[in-house]
Amino acid sequence: MEEIRRLLRECGALTKAQAEDLEIFVREDNVVFISGRLETVEQKVAAGHAVVKAEWVRNVVNDIRVPGEKLFSIDPKEVSACRSKGIVAESDVVIIGGGISGCAIARELSRYELNVILVEAGSDVCEGASKANSGAIHPGHLVKPGTLKAKLNVEGNAMYTEWAEELGFRFIRNGQLTLAYDEAAKAKVVHAYETAVKNGVPGVELISAERAKEMEPALEGEPIAVLYTPTMGVVEPYEVVIALANNAARNGVKFMLDSRVVGIDHNDGEDFLVITKQGCVKAKYVVDAAGIHADDIAEMVGDKFYSLHPRRGTIVLYDKAKIKDYPFTHRISYLPVKEVADSKGGGFSPTPEGNMNAGPSATESLDKDDLGTTMQDLDFALARANNCPGLVEKKDVIAFFTGIRACDYKEDFIIEMSAKAHGFLHIAGIQSPGLASAPAVAKMAVSLLADTMVSDGFEIKPFNGFEPCEPRKTEFRDLSREEQEELVRKDPSYGRVVCRCETITEGEIVEAIRSPLTPTTVDAIKRRTRAGMGRCQGGFCRQKVIDILSRELGIDKTQIRLKSGESFILLRNTRENTSKEVRAK
Amino acid sequence: MNERICDLLIIGGGPAGLSAAVEAKKVGCESVVVLERDTVPGGILRQCIHDGFGLHTFHQTLTGGQFAQKYIDMANELGVEILTDTMVLELREDKTVFAVSAGNGMTVFKPGAVILAMGCRERTRNQVFILGTRPAGVMTAGEVQHYINIDGYLPGKKAVILGSGDIGLIMARRMKLEGIEVEGVYARRSTLGGLRRNAVQCLDDYDIPLHLSTTVIEVHGEDRLTGLTIASTDSSKKPIPGTERYVTCDLLVLAMGLIPENELSKGAGIELDRVTGGPVLDENFMTSVEGIFAAGNVATVFDLVDYVAVTGTKAAQGAVAYLSGRLNKGKKADVEHDANISYVFPQKLVLSEQNRTVQLFLRVRHPMGLSVLKVEAGNVIIGKKTVPVALEPEMLSIEVKVPENTGETVRVSIEEVQK
Repeated sequence: MEEIRRLLRECGALTKAQAEDLEIFVREDNVVFISGRLETVEQKVAAGHAVVKAEWVRNVVNDIRVPGEKLFSIDPKEVSACRSKGIVAESDVVIIGGGISGCAIARELSRYELNVILVEAGSDVCEGASKANSGAIHPGHLVKPGTLKAKLNVEGNAMYTEWAEELGFRFIRNGQLTLAYDEAAKAKVVHAYETAVKNGVPGVELISAERAKEMEPALEGEPIAVLYTPTMGVVEPYEVVIALANNAARNGVKFMLDSRVVGIDHNDGEDFLVITKQGCVKAKYVVDAAGIHADDIAEMVGDKFYSLHPRRGTIVLYDKAKIKDYPFTHRISYLPVKEVADSKGGGFSPTPEGNMNAGPSATESLDKDDLGTTMQDLDFALARANNCPGLVEKKDVIAFFTGIRACDYKEDFIIEMSAKAHGFLHIAGIQSPGLASAPAVAKMAVSLLADTMVSDGFEIKPFNGFEPCEPRKTEFRDLSREEQEELVRKDPSYGRVVCRCETITEGEIVEAIRSPLTPTTVDAIKRRTRAGMGRCQGGFCRQKVIDILSRELGIDKTQIRLKSGESFILLRNTRENTSKEVRAK
Repeated sequence: MNERICDLLIIGGGPAGLSAAVEAKKVGCESVVVLERDTVPGGILRQCIHDGFGLHTFHQTLTGGQFAQKYIDMANELGVEILTDTMVLELREDKTVFAVSAGNGMTVFKPGAVILAMGCRERTRNQVFILGTRPAGVMTAGEVQHYINIDGYLPGKKAVILGSGDIGLIMARRMKLEGIEVEGVYARRSTLGGLRRNAVQCLDDYDIPLHLSTTVIEVHGEDRLTGLTIASTDSSKKPIPGTERYVTCDLLVLAMGLIPENELSKGAGIELDRVTGGPVLDENFMTSVEGIFAAGNVATVFDLVDYVAVTGTKAAQGAVAYLSGRLNKGKKADVEHDANISYVFPQKLVLSEQNRTVQLFLRVRHPMGLSVLKVEAGNVIIGKKTVPVALEPEMLSIEVKVPENTGETVRVSIEEVQK
């Protein structure tokens, strides 16, 4: 306890009085609970970080309150209302959360004869941080050696090649050059090299400026240190999640969307009752992959032994037209000399589809659910474009958006079976390199689950009909003119371009609607087809997407949503209920 | 692959494309093909159900659809081939055009001349860096107009419009007529962005407040828009800290300007003008690529469809002259302008042996009172006009008599009359 107090005093963000006033409780399993009041979220985070500096601390539950903070709470009346909907499904495993981790685990579990249900709060998978990141498949040179993250990052990165082949998403393993132009930066680069070696990152080298320029003739100046990490890659992150979800669905996993979990009933030795907005699901095992809310879910089974604090990241995307002037083939990175809140510092690199991607920022947040972009985050992201000066201007921006990282205070993954609630698997704190680590996270998760199942006497049989491959979706825009002609001849709906900016055809949209996990919203179609991701941001095609969804799903246009919740786009017909007459003066 | 040869290929079947097609036929062009991506021609006019179109052209005040229909009827009578539901995928410098349609599959066109008439897209919320969340209920004015006028649906109950250009003003009135509460029209500028007559007929007549020097900073709402943070703006249109206030609404209509849609033009290596956003054109409406012409909003954003029709007509005349080898393909002189003017269109004049009359279009950079608009070639005044008032939203035009062998740069200037 004294050690904790001392660490708090010495952390540099708190006054002596503030550190003294905080309440500290150390549980017998070395989980530290801190509470009290501080002024800013940065102080709260600093306090949490300070506590875990003590080696023996298993983790910290940070209940310090700061002004303006939004606390997680669920109305007990809502829980009752959802519970009274009764049991709508029974399963062997319920996975809570349809992001990269949940969907990857779903796909892995679908290799077995198990009844698996994934429950997702949003109207589609991939509505959280999994869609709002830079898509980098990191090599593992920026992760602290000895952490679980480091291990899974390196493993997961290697598994992406096979994932991409099987699941059919775009994956470009173009490698990375990290450059230093002064001594301070050089120290960082060398440190990253040493970290990479310790972590077992394959092919990593410190190379000369000459060699770097051979690899990238457009490199300017004389870098005094260059780190080459050949295993760096990039994906469109939403493509990966959707492919995993489709494959999981193809192999028998059931998805319950619009199914936020409001409570979990559990008694020792009994099944879990996962209470969702769509009703209750019985489960023998539960996987908590709920992103930024994983700790809130863990609390529902009485095992919140860590806490997650939201850290915002804003990304800016630029018009595809700029990519033709981008002179590099490898990912070009610079390490931040000034610490940017436990982040890799952001960057400026092309996505597989050809949009320059700047950011992300890293700002501690008071609200787990606030995805609003702030001026500060936007400016940070825009400034990353200076990594390649003169390539883009502000007027080339086509989109910007914000995601929330699920950060635990130890800044490491939490992947373990619950010691308190038997059969509950924690998949928490999956911030960067969560995307790169996903294949290994899923493998580890399933392994832990399987061990528990076996020792419970629960039989796991492989599913002989498991189909690992997801058919590659048609992408009209990438076909040759002859191939396009052939495609349209076979199916004329591919001859009708719906999204002009990205050249997306009606056939592709219908194909997406008919995929194993049916998309029902405009954004779900956007993530599957790219319709609406271009320079006009859906201004031209959104109405056509609504038409097609309405037709294919057989529902009225007023029932079509943009995203989750009540995000209806068209509220009513113009000729309904016109009771008020309006005339000019 | 299905290959089609034709004299004139027009990309876009809106007012620019249709007026060009009609004129081309009138001046003797044999095969005129119009490619239109929508299922019916008319372009943006289809969703303009308000009237006020055609005052200059037909001396009537027609709805957008009626104006378009006049040209569609003429086009059909004259034997123009209009291919609808057809999207152009690529335009090459050699004028080859790849187009695809559900009905006809992939077709490669080899025309003698091309007229670009693709119109515009709208500026998005992201391009004006409005902070906050991304809920349903944030959309451009054109999108709202489509939902209401073509689809017959209301996309909101209480709307705020950002942008005082014509589209914003028209939609303010349309929404109110259709039962959407219009909280107000906001604009970052200190002066009206659209035509004065629209402000009167759309806002004043309907008691819709106009808040100039105000902008939307942030959007609120998780799934559906719940409100906006607005703030006053200074003389450079930047928000003034401390002036923020909250407005409740569920629909933000963005009328932040049009951007000429020139992705196809870029693909053909056509030189674009940074200010207009469209191709650099000469008096024949020909682009920097021989045999490719442009008309209408794809060249520069016009306020009046009558001007769009004029450019369509002129581009067709240019294209037909080109096809018959009569077009002077000589050197071009830049049309320059003073600092009071933001752009003049067309941007170049062909050095020619003939006297001819050319109509120039221009916009001033800032509001001016009684002014004299002057066009000079060297020391010779080739055009002069008194303008009672000059406002940026209201395009000016002047006819100039270009003498033969205009070697010097032609310069356009506008000066306020000193009292």
